[in-house]
Amino acid sequence: NLFRSEEHARSWYARPVAEWADFFKRVRP
Amino acid sequence: MLAPDALDRGYSEIMRSCIATGQAPHFTELAASLGIPVPEARALVHELVSLTPGWVHPGTDLLASFPPFNLQPTQYRVSVDGEQRWFAQCGFEALAIRWLFPGQQVRIEAPCLCCGESMVVEMNDTAITTIEPEAMVGYTSSEIGGDPATRPFR
Repeated sequence: NLFRSEEHARSWYARPVAEWADFFKRVRP
Repeated sequence: MLAPDALDRGYSEIMRSCIATGQAPHFTELAASLGIPVPEARALVHELVSLTPGWVHPGTDLLASFPPFNLQPTQYRVSVDGEQRWFAQCGFEALAIRWLFPGQQVRIEAPCLCCGESMVVEMNDTAITTIEPEAMVGYTSSEIGGDPATRPFR
């Protein structure tokens, strides 16, 4: 899941969303 | 066990439908589009979800999740070029949806599970263009890809 910040994730429970995006390229027949 | 060609054709047809409409075909529709008997199409759906990180709704033959998409709505709403027609299976798969829409702008909107406030990620197949708020993080309590014995596509 995604959270607004680390603090929010820990309040829900080893990264910034850009790091996870750096996730697939499934369309081949 | 179904032939590899049948699995490839089934996967490709379901993915094509999910990309185009946000919905997966029913197995009877899959049978028609692939030109195979209905019972074979039903078995194909179950074999595909046993191989991939997707699933059918429990106790049914209905596709509920076909990553990166979820056919059952989730909090991860996906818009492509301004049209909201899709849902992502999870927050991480949401980040991979852009690869299925080359040249188009993909927008993920979701509430934070902690506070309910909105989050937005905008991206295309070359860059992440918006992360709002900037402090947004991803978190998982399960291992990506599962353990080797039960990994997808084994």
